Amino acid sequence: MSDKIKVLDCKQYDNEYLHKDFHGALCYAIKYLDEKYGPDTTSEYLEQVGRATFTPLIEELKKDGLIALERHFKRIFKLEAGHAEFELQNGQLTITVLKCPAILHLLTTKQLFTERYCQTTVNINKAICEAAGFECSCDYKPSEGCCVQRFWRKGENKK
Amino acid sequence: MISCTEFIPAYSELFKFLEQKGGKAAVISFWEHLSDAFLNNLRDLATKKGLAGCFEYWSHSLSEEAADFKMTLDEENNLFTIEMRKCPSKGRLMEAKHLKPYHAYCEHCDLLYRRVLEPLGFEYNIDLSNCDKAECKLVVRKKCK
Repeated sequence: MSDKIKVLDCKQYDNEYLHKDFHGALCYAIKYLDEKYGPDTTSEYLEQVGRATFTPLIEELKKDGLIALERHFKRIFKLEAGHAEFELQNGQLTITVLKCPAILHLLTTKQLFTERYCQTTVNINKAICEAAGFECSCDYKPSEGCCVQRFWRKGENKK
Repeated sequence: MISCTEFIPAYSELFKFLEQKGGKAAVISFWEHLSDAFLNNLRDLATKKGLAGCFEYWSHSLSEEAADFKMTLDEENNLFTIEMRKCPSKGRLMEAKHLKPYHAYCEHCDLLYRRVLEPLGFEYNIDLSNCDKAECKLVVRKKCK
């Protein structure tokens, strides 16, 4: 083969599936929807994502309760090398995010970032919880990569 | 946040959502904006290094996406190709039983990258005839002056 020909041949199992630049594409989508259609439409989209693409998690949440959410978020924080503390007690799950891997990636790689990015968490969590009979809250400060997320069964008036 | 591994279903859902709002034109408009604003990495690499820049860009992204592919850079013949044997995005959308992919999901690859590369003097062709099997073939040539 000519030395001017370069080949890269990869099988699916050669690499781990972890393309963090996708966080940037979602960030861009939020910015685009905000600017073109307004924030209510962005929320509508993110809630549609929650209902349509997290169906298995919704079913697990209905069946197993809050431990299903704890399991889900522990898995993704481990996968993306984030840092969060989890507390599940008295019917409430509290996730204290100390290092959001998505925001860290966006800021360190100097990708487009919108302070509205954390609405992903707010709206998608809300849609998942509503579909499963739970409620949630998310207190965050934009750009800091830290937040406190709380989840509880609907009607139990936690927070 | 959602995990980057959960992005592709959200992306497909965005195309559906935009089509509900404003038809296919709204989806295409988003793709055009995304290409112009978000693909500067590919634009810069292809500008500086030509087809070798394309090789560099896709070897990074397709490896991180755990794609099954063969990528070839033939600088003697000014040719860059990707034979996608299993697209990680379309493949995952098809495998997940609870998801229904956007009907024209694969078309974004045609528009997004064509819009970056053609103005830089490349010919861009993508064969999407087997995209229902998560397969496609991309051919980029440097136009002779």
